[in-house]
Amino acid sequence: MLVVADPHPTTWAALSERKDNTYLLPICTQFECDGSRTASNRSVQWGQQVVKPIFESKNDYEVMYLLAKKLGFADLMFKNIKVENNQPLAEDLLREINRGGFSTGYSGQSPERLKAHMANQDKFDLVSLRSTKDAPPEIAGDYYGLPWPCWGTPAIRHPGTHQLYNTNLHVKEGGGTFRARFGVERVVKTKVMEDGKEVEKEQRFNLLAEGSFSVGSELKDGYPEFTYGVLKKLGWDKDLTDPERERIEKIGGNNPDNVGWAIDLSGGIIRVALEHGCIPFGNGKARAAAWNLLDPVPVHREPIYTPRPDLVAKYPTYPKAVRFRVPDIGFDVQKAAVDKGIAKQFPLVLTSGRLVEYEGGGEETRSNKWLAELQQDSFIEINPADATERGIKDGQWVWVTGAENSKARVKALVTQRVGKGVTWMPFHFGGWWQGQDQRKNYPAGTDPIVLGESVNSITTYGYDPATGMQEPKAALCQVAAA
Amino acid sequence: MARMKFLCDADRCIECNACVTACKNEHEVPWGINRRRVVTINDGQPGERSVSMACMHCTDAPCAAVCPVNCFFTTADGVVLHSKDLCIGCGYCFYACPFGAPQYPRVGNFGSRGKMDKCTFCAGGPDPANTQANFVQYGTNRLAEGKLPLCAEMCSTKSLLAGDGDIIAKIYKERVAKRGYGSGAWGWKTAYRETIAG
Ligand code: SF4
Ligand code: SF4
Repeated sequence: MLVVADPHPTTWAALSERKDNTYLLPICTQFECDGSRTASNRSVQWGQQVVKPIFESKNDYEVMYLLAKKLGFADLMFKNIKVENNQPLAEDLLREINRGGFSTGYSGQSPERLKAHMANQDKFDLVSLRSTKDAPPEIAGDYYGLPWPCWGTPAIRHPGTHQLYNTNLHVKEGGGTFRARFGVERVVKTKVMEDGKEVEKEQRFNLLAEGSFSVGSELKDGYPEFTYGVLKKLGWDKDLTDPERERIEKIGGNNPDNVGWAIDLSGGIIRVALEHGCIPFGNGKARAAAWNLLDPVPVHREPIYTPRPDLVAKYPTYPKAVRFRVPDIGFDVQKAAVDKGIAKQFPLVLTSGRLVEYEGGGEETRSNKWLAELQQDSFIEINPADATERGIKDGQWVWVTGAENSKARVKALVTQRVGKGVTWMPFHFGGWWQGQDQRKNYPAGTDPIVLGESVNSITTYGYDPATGMQEPKAALCQVAAA
Repeated sequence: MARMKFLCDADRCIECNACVTACKNEHEVPWGINRRRVVTINDGQPGERSVSMACMHCTDAPCAAVCPVNCFFTTADGVVLHSKDLCIGCGYCFYACPFGAPQYPRVGNFGSRGKMDKCTFCAGGPDPANTQANFVQYGTNRLAEGKLPLCAEMCSTKSLLAGDGDIIAKIYKERVAKRGYGSGAWGWKTAYRETIAG
C-alpha cells in the first residue's frame, strides 16, 4: 500500500500505473491551519490560519486523528487533546509536545508564550533576539521564539537558548555547558606485552568538564546529568516541592533515585538544577573520538561505485553486516563493481545537488509559475571536454545511464562549473521516468507545471551506517547524445 | 529633482534570481516576458560575474528617440514609461535599446508582436492612479505609495540598488573605497588564488 500525504502529488504519486492500493491524501499547507512551527535556528513560532482549507484538503492533525480513530486508539492517543468535529485543537497538540519534550528542551514553549511573542514582534532586538526594555511582562527577558532548549515547564519562564553551550551566561539567561551525554568516565582496556607476557591494562578518562562551567553555577566543575539521586547527594532535593517529590517517587517506583531530569514529568529536577545555576543535562567534554560509531574518527572509504577501483583494496567500504534489521551489502556491491569493471563502462562521476529556484523534491516549487519559468528542464552539467568527446552540444537532449542500469533523458548543460570527468544533476525534478513523461498519471489539475527526470533514478546503492542517510552524492554514469 | 536609477553591484550578485521572481510576482508578468533578468558571464570560471539587468531608465532614452508613435515619456522622477494604448508593437525600440529591455508578447501564430512591455521602475503606467486597468497593463505603482522597486528591496545581498541616483552612487562609492572591486575586492584572492583583469 502506498499513501502519499502532501499538498502536491509527489514523484511517487505519479510513478506507478497501478490503480489499487494507492492513496493520495491532499494535505493542507501551513497557511490553512493553526499551529506551532519550528525553524532551523531552534526557535518556534505560532502560525495562524490564513485561509480555510481549499478543495477537499484536510490538515495533518485531522488526518492523524481520523487514522487513529479507524485503528481504534484515538481515545488514548488524544486523551489530553480537545477534538471538535474531528479537529484536534492546535494549542493542545503543542501542550502535548511540551509535556513529552523535556529531554530536548521543547517543553517551555507553550502556546500562550508563543502567541505573546507573535503579538509583540516589534519588542525584540534584531541582533540579540532578546526582548527590549519596554517589553510587556509576558515576554520580558525572552529570546524571540524561545529557541530550544527552553527548559522545564512554561511556568518557570526560561527565556530559551539563543546560542548553545554559552558559558558566559547564566543557565536561566540562556547560557549552558556541553552535555554530559556519554557518562562520567570512559574505561579503555588494552592488551600490552610486559616481560614477555600479555597483560590487560586499564586506562580511565574523565568525560566531565574540568575547570569549565557556566556563569553563576554553584558547581564549579564538571557534573553528570541530574537525577533525583544526584539532587539528594547535593542536598538540593529539599528544594523540591511536595507535589514534585511525589511525582518523582511515583515515576521511580522501587528506585526513585534513578529518575532523571528527562523523565521527571513534574519538571522539578530541571527547576531545581536551574535554581542552582546548573544545566539539567550535565557539564561534560565534547569528544573527538566517537567510540560507539563504526569509524570513531572519520577515515577515507571509497564510494561503493568508485571511479578509482584501484583504491578499493586499501580503502574498502564497511564490512557486510545487518544494521537495525537492514542488511548492508555495500561490501559485496563494491567488490562486484570492481570485478565487473563498472568504472570503465560508466566513466563519469555523478553527483547531485540543489538549485536556488526549487526546494526539496520540487513538487511545490515546480507548481509555482514564477519559479517554474526559471528552470524548465531537468539537466546534467558536463564539462566541455567530456561533451566534445561525446559529440554533445549545450542544450541538447542526452541519455544519462546509471551504474545500476537505469536511464534518464535530460538536457546537457555544457559548462566549466564541473571539472573533466565529473557531472552534476539537480535533485528537484520528478514526473518523468526513464524517458517517459508521466503527466497523465497525475490527478487532473494537480500536475506541476514543470516535470523532469529525478536524479535519484540514476544514483546507486549505498548508505551511511551511522545515520541511515542514502548515498546521493557519489555515483557513476555515462552520458550519450539522445 | 531626484533621478531614479538602478545599479547592480556585480561584486555582490549571487545569481539567486530573487529580483526576477519578485518582479514577476509583483506585476504578474506573463510567462515568457522578463522585465528583469540576471546575466552571468564566465560561468564556472574564475572571474564569474552575474549582473541583474532591466530597463536602465536612460537620460535621453534611445527607445523614445526611435518610437514612430511617440509613446515614451519621462516622469518627474526620471523614470522612462510608455503608453501601451499608443504602442503598435513595431519593435524599433528593441533595436535601439542598448540593454535589451523591451519585451513583446507573441500574440498570433505567425510571431506577430503584441504591445511592448518593460520595467516601469515599479511606477505603473501613464495614469498615476492605481486602478485595476492600469495594473493589468503595467503592474503596480509602488513609487506612488512611497516604496522603491521590489526587486531591489528583495535583494538579499543588497547588490541591486534602486532609488535616487545620487544616493546610490554614494553608497557604491563607499563600498568600493572600503572593499575594492574586481580581483582587488576583499575575499577574491582567497576564493580564486589568481588575479583577473576587471
Ligand atoms: S536578487 Fe540581488 S543577488 Fe539575487 S540575482 Fe538579483 S541582484 Fe543578484
Ligand atoms: S527601454 Fe532601453 S533605451 Fe529605453 S530607457 Fe529603458 S534601457 Fe533605455
